[in-house]
Amino acid sequence: MYSNYNYSSTAALPNVSDPEKAYAQITRQQYMDYVQNYRSFEEEMLEKAQTDTSLIDQAREDSAAAQGLMTGVANRNAARYGVQLTPAQQQEQARQLQRASTLGSVDAINNSRIAQSEANQALLADLVNIGQGVNRSSLNQLSSAANNHTQRENAYRQASAASKAQTYSTIGSLGAAAIFAFAL
Amino acid sequence: MSSKPKKADYQPSEAEKASAAVAMAEQRYFKEKYDPLLQQVRDQSRSDDRQKTLRGRANADTMQTLAGGANYDAAASGRSGGDMAQAYQGQMAQANTAAKDIQNKQQLGVLGTARGQAADAQSGMAQAASMGASQALSRAAANQQVREAKTAALGQIGTSLIMQGAKNMSTKAPVMDEGVQRLDAEGNPMFTSGSFFSPVDQQGNKVTGFRDRLGASGFTNTNPFGSN
Repeated sequence: MYSNYNYSSTAALPNVSDPEKAYAQITRQQYMDYVQNYRSFEEEMLEKAQTDTSLIDQAREDSAAAQGLMTGVANRNAARYGVQLTPAQQQEQARQLQRASTLGSVDAINNSRIAQSEANQALLADLVNIGQGVNRSSLNQLSSAANNHTQRENAYRQASAASKAQTYSTIGSLGAAAIFAFAL
Repeated sequence: MSSKPKKADYQPSEAEKASAAVAMAEQRYFKEKYDPLLQQVRDQSRSDDRQKTLRGRANADTMQTLAGGANYDAAASGRSGGDMAQAYQGQMAQANTAAKDIQNKQQLGVLGTARGQAADAQSGMAQAASMGASQALSRAAANQQVREAKTAALGQIGTSLIMQGAKNMSTKAPVMDEGVQRLDAEGNPMFTSGSFFSPVDQQGNKVTGFRDRLGASGFTNTNPFGSN
């Protein structure tokens, strides 16, 4: 997995011969693992935050089932107590149940719309917050890497310049000594 | 000549290597032990197990509250069914909303952890690399300073050698023959001159050997008014 270090045993520290390469490898591997394990998951969440209607859909399903369920409950209660309803009473009961179910359905679906909107907004806000954190972290990391690189480059250039200056200075003093000594 | 700065002097410090080794070990341990757990939580958060649980609980609460007090009047009037229908739908909607909230928070937790841990590991390693880099740069600068001092010393020795060689070559003494200076074919007085590495003394003899050279150089002359 990481070719730049090896383990002598599972408990020992890895021997990192080149931290910069190891850092590059682990950073790259970390990103690849994220892409493999969490990228699709994150994209699902982003999609869900913008298009999810599962609460509203579920409320519609529940509303459709509610009237049938409650009709069964009313019938079983009537049978349990030996109630014999007249046709007029049965019609009134059905109308009353339908009316209540419809009102309940409207109320539940409307509430679900609000709840869905709030849930999606909250999810989106949190996702954006995570995304902003990732962005900030990435920029800081890039800045650090760029600073290190610039620092090394500057130091190397300065050392090279100092070396050249010293070389030319030595050549100059040797040349001057030769000129004076031999009166060239 | 001054040697160029060596790339080898810009290698990471021991502290940097150790820091990187620890970071690497911890990162590997995390990958082996914690990352699978996080992936399990990720998969759990995709399931609708919690929604089923909450809906079942809401359904039971509704039935226990409204159907538990069943009586003949309620059964005969048929009005209780409407109340139960409204309560059932309201409770189910609340259960769905609560389950969605739990699922969203769990998924956000998984994603935030995955993203956050990656960012922490990277920034930690970047900081260690930065600390090690500054130490490596200091060491490289010191080594470069030593190399430049050596070069300067070589330059001084070279300069002294040239000056002394020129001085040696400028020494000369008349060639004597029985107390009289010898003349050449054109009648000019003859002189013997020193070479680059060996001067001649006043008698025209080449100065060789450590002791004679020390005496000829005047280095050991302590007379403030001139040579002995």
